[in-house]
Amino acid sequence: MSKFQTSIHEYLETLPLQTFNRLYQKPATCLAIFRLLPPLGKQIIMSSLYVDTPIPVTDMKLWFKESAGLMKQKEAMQRLKALHIFSEERGNYAMNATFLEQFRNALTGGGNSQSFGLATSTPDKHHVDIAFLDDYATKQWEAILHFMVGTTEGRPPCKGVLNLLGRSGLMTGGSDVSSHADSMDARDFASQMARQDFGVPKITHKGFQFLLQDINTQVWAFLLQYLNMAESLNMDLVEVLTFFFQLGSLELGNDYSSETLTPTQTHLLEDLKAYGIVYQRKRGSRRFYPTRLATTLTSGTPVMLGSHTNATKLAAAAAVRKGEEEEGDDHGFIILETNYRLYAYTDSPLQIAVLNLFVHLRDRFPNMVTGVITRDSIRRALTKGITAEQIITYLTAHAHAQMRKHTPVLPLTVVDQIRLWEIEKNRLRPVQSWLYSDFGRQQDFESTLEYASELGVVLWSNQKRRLICITTEGHQAVGSYVRKLIIRQKEQAQQAQQARQQHQQQHVPSIAS
Amino acid sequence: MVKAVKGVVVECDTSVKQIILGLNEKGKFIIEDLDDTHVFVDASCIEQLRFDIDEILNENTYNVEESK
Repeated sequence: MSKFQTSIHEYLETLPLQTFNRLYQKPATCLAIFRLLPPLGKQIIMSSLYVDTPIPVTDMKLWFKESAGLMKQKEAMQRLKALHIFSEERGNYAMNATFLEQFRNALTGGGNSQSFGLATSTPDKHHVDIAFLDDYATKQWEAILHFMVGTTEGRPPCKGVLNLLGRSGLMTGGSDVSSHADSMDARDFASQMARQDFGVPKITHKGFQFLLQDINTQVWAFLLQYLNMAESLNMDLVEVLTFFFQLGSLELGNDYSSETLTPTQTHLLEDLKAYGIVYQRKRGSRRFYPTRLATTLTSGTPVMLGSHTNATKLAAAAAVRKGEEEEGDDHGFIILETNYRLYAYTDSPLQIAVLNLFVHLRDRFPNMVTGVITRDSIRRALTKGITAEQIITYLTAHAHAQMRKHTPVLPLTVVDQIRLWEIEKNRLRPVQSWLYSDFGRQQDFESTLEYASELGVVLWSNQKRRLICITTEGHQAVGSYVRKLIIRQKEQAQQAQQARQQHQQQHVPSIAS
Repeated sequence: MVKAVKGVVVECDTSVKQIILGLNEKGKFIIEDLDDTHVFVDASCIEQLRFDIDEILNENTYNVEESK
């Protein structure tokens, strides 16, 4: 089961130097990449930003204490080198010239500032506030997730999204069309639309794993898929990436002009609208608003988007109280007891659908659902390819504020039991192999075993019973070794016999004489 | 003379091993009983074996959902 790529770092590190040099031409990109770095990486960059000559490797080592510090320095430098921010030449670390210049620009506000997005100069007649944007982003994003879990809530996502879901392997087409032909509800309509591309979409193992991730990871996973797709669509990778990073540096609640965007980026804007990452009042409008999904892309802080209805309620509440801390509380809604009972304070069909993946839900009330985690419900999830670790992470991430007062957050008994259920599913560990038996002599067995263990292909062996299990990969080598042994043994036997015969022949005449 | 047989080495815990031995009474699929935690079986029976063991283990668990 392959994991989908979720980290932008891994993706960036696969890009060639040329791409980086073009990326670094935008101050916004430099800043965004800087924000994505670990603290030590940032520290190194900041320390050497205004040093105009290359820094000798030995000098930089002096910044760190002892071996532990040097290990960390090595790690950090490796990252920086992979991102082509630093290069090592003749014992000196040199910072990428483009990065250096543009990052200075980003910090001091010099150069061409358009890469941070051009704020519109005229006020918007149809200005929208943050609450609206949050609502919009949640609605769009959850529409996609809803579609994935197969709830009929909301309208089906547009074709671009369906296409992306299919290509990313989060959903696949099922060949069984007839079973879906009963009623034409919204979901079936969406499947109809998508059918030309990949049949009836069905959620895959990867899709289930995707659902349990936090929203920031989900957005990045989506965008990375988009990047992969962009290459095949002949879209310029640098422009797409630049735009993503630019979005990350925009300010929530402000409107930006779409006039400075390149044609590729305008096209991109259309697609991002569908994901709820940006908002545009109507197609071709001269201004766009980034939503919270966009502005938290590079910040590393979790996106505080509650369920759709919670967000609106919360926005209303926040408007009255102007309290920020309430927003944090909204994040958790699950209470899990030591008796495996689970209470989820949510009315979002999406969250209920996700919970339904691994919880046996019992009752539903206007503001909560109750359920119980059972062996069967966990096993159902496991067969769908969800791992115990993912379930535990999800429960921890969404634990109610009351639960957070305890350490550990989740009851240990339940966590352990979930892990045990997973192990129980894998009680058989079968390995394809060949069994070698009936070794004639102990020495043959021993030399074969020695040879096979040198190759590292022994799965199991028993000295007394002269049995060896060899992996299928090792079978050919070990087989020919054994054949050689047998031939040699035969030859030896023949030689011995000949010798005996000769001996006898010599012996016979002597008697006769 | 040395013999090589193709099959599957199954590693399992001792209780599952006993279940496998029990199942072997019905249809012979074990090629060689190796030790307490290993058994060498016919490659074609693995899926069936998995299913059977699951069934037997399921019978031996208390089910909360039914006890409503």
